[in-house]
Amino acid sequence: MRSLALLVALAALVALPFATTGYVVYLANLLLTFTVICLGMHLVLGEAGQFSLAQAAFYGIGIYTSGLSGAAFGWPFPCSVLAAGLVSAVVGLLIGGLALRMRDIYLALATFAFGEAMQWVLMDWTSVTGGPNGLHIAPARLFGLQLLTDKQAYPAVLVIAILMLGLAILLSRSRLGRAFRAVRESEVAAMAMGVPVKSTKLIAFALSAFFAGVGGGMFALYSTYIHPDSLGFQTTILVLTMVVVGGLGSIAGAVGGAIVFGLISELLRQTPSYQEVIYGLILIVFMMFAPKGLFAFLGESFGRLRRA
Amino acid sequence: MRSKLKTLAVALPALMAALSTAAAADPGITDKTIKIGMFAPLSGPNAAYGFDVANAAKMYYDKINKDGGINGRRIEYILEDDRCDANDLVAAVKKLVEQDQVFLLNGGSCSAATVAAKDFVVRNKIPLIMLNASGDGALYPPTDYIFGAFSISQYAVGGAMINFAEKTFGVKRLAYVNHDDAYGAWNLTGAKVDAAADKVDLAVESVSPTITDVTAPFLRLRASNPDALLIVTYARPAALLIKKAREMGFDKPIILSVTGTANLKQLAENVGGKGALKNLYIQDVLADAPGGPKIKWVYDMYKAAYPELAKEPDHPQTYMPYGVPSAEAIVRALKAAGPEPTREKFLAAMKQEDFDTHVMAGPVKFGPEERAANKSTVFMKYDGSSLQMLPGVYTTRWTYKN
Repeated sequence: MRSLALLVALAALVALPFATTGYVVYLANLLLTFTVICLGMHLVLGEAGQFSLAQAAFYGIGIYTSGLSGAAFGWPFPCSVLAAGLVSAVVGLLIGGLALRMRDIYLALATFAFGEAMQWVLMDWTSVTGGPNGLHIAPARLFGLQLLTDKQAYPAVLVIAILMLGLAILLSRSRLGRAFRAVRESEVAAMAMGVPVKSTKLIAFALSAFFAGVGGGMFALYSTYIHPDSLGFQTTILVLTMVVVGGLGSIAGAVGGAIVFGLISELLRQTPSYQEVIYGLILIVFMMFAPKGLFAFLGESFGRLRRA
Repeated sequence: MRSKLKTLAVALPALMAALSTAAAADPGITDKTIKIGMFAPLSGPNAAYGFDVANAAKMYYDKINKDGGINGRRIEYILEDDRCDANDLVAAVKKLVEQDQVFLLNGGSCSAATVAAKDFVVRNKIPLIMLNASGDGALYPPTDYIFGAFSISQYAVGGAMINFAEKTFGVKRLAYVNHDDAYGAWNLTGAKVDAAADKVDLAVESVSPTITDVTAPFLRLRASNPDALLIVTYARPAALLIKKAREMGFDKPIILSVTGTANLKQLAENVGGKGALKNLYIQDVLADAPGGPKIKWVYDMYKAAYPELAKEPDHPQTYMPYGVPSAEAIVRALKAAGPEPTREKFLAAMKQEDFDTHVMAGPVKFGPEERAANKSTVFMKYDGSSLQMLPGVYTTRWTYKN
């Protein structure tokens, strides 16, 4: 049943650019990008239990790295997307080394401060980032071909999203994934079991930054402009909301949260007068009736129906 | 047989011509309608910059329809919420162009977000006529497809404010506060040009639009012993600065740009009463004080178009009239494009526009290399309850150099 659902979803994703307009494909690109960023948030928060609020900063580093490396060196997009992920991961490793000395709310505040500082850097490092004028991103390239439209970029975005999803599943099922969850449940117990807690947390932090950086690289494939305003705390909160609404601690929750919440946000744009109220109501309803997330709620409901 | 061939010889070129015309026809235009895609912030904290501005443009299009349309065609508009956010604005633009198939775009109230759509519209050759965004980042260097600054170019505001301070108060040292964003950077560029021309020293502080305590920047500015304080920020930092100036006993002229005047009644309350506004001057771009005789027709039209909304407090919003000039420019260019308008004919007509909107202080004037509509501004004295128009129209000496 699950395999059939996955096949149908994959077929729908492959058929999308042939059956819809560029606008729908743009939304799909954006949702797939946020799916990857949410997977990163899932690794650090859902799996390893570390409260990081710097996802927008790593996403921003990814966008600027990809955009600038593509323009400066003429790199094909697989290289610039990979560079985006690696640079974010290295910065994540450095910041994680400092921030992970703290826990809980202090860790959240430290990573929040890093996010704010990074936005300031992007805004003020005018000679490199374009500063307040924003950065025009040159079209992505591969073998001399330019990706000029959303439909042209979509296959690349989809393949990267599937690869990142596969990587997240592999990580989750690996020894490292088990170490993440052990650290999340109890650092003392994990240590007693021989899990190197400090390096495990650091790896989770760097992997999360890598996912966000790749998300930034994906954004640079179909977008032509980035402004530091788009990389503020609001974006981190959006990602956090997606992961929590989808279901904290589950990959399906991270993916579903990104897609469902991204779609809700876009649909609410059509009802400007009421959207803030509806948005707030949806969040309250989710927290009241589906505190474990949308997918856990759906799973439990289906289970009850089946038993009945 | 011969007559059949003759008929074919006549019919074939006619058919080919008809087919080529049909193939060349731009989207969004039929014999009866012209479809315009609009976008503005209709929700969230920045709705004050676009909600009623979009309403003003809509009411102008409705009036044109009521008067018979343009060359027999009615204007149809589709309005999208861009939330003042780059991603949302690009989504709105792509929906309007690719799904709704509009002929042209008329939208954008937030500069940084509007600039995000630049490459898409240029690449797809879609006319984008901004609503009230200054949008200088998309206007310089000029393209064939984007026209804006119907309220005013920020380069012009920066220069004109220096010009006004020097001519009115004879200042030699000015304290200047802008935002640390693109909007602020454009403004400062214009200000520096006119400060150099007028030999005025500028002490500059760039602050975040979300700043909550202005004590440090204000103290640094006061230390420069300025002859006046220029504020080119949004409403919240502006109110904090004016309040701080009063608390610190700063009694020299304060000149506030129009971006800080979203709600003047609220400003008077936020600064702690009229005492803080004794020496306040406001830059504006309208031809008259809001509701004044020269622009009363806009407010009357609004009341007739939106009788229920007009009864609500704070409506029409301060920037409402700014929505009319871009709609006027679009209607004029569509008329000039003739009975069979294409996007190229429309854009050619836009480039030649030079007319008085009867709304703004200066004319809408484009040219072969000019895409910013308005560079003229006026000033008013505001005492917390009434506005008094001051004589003169000011502009900048800044010019775009490729």
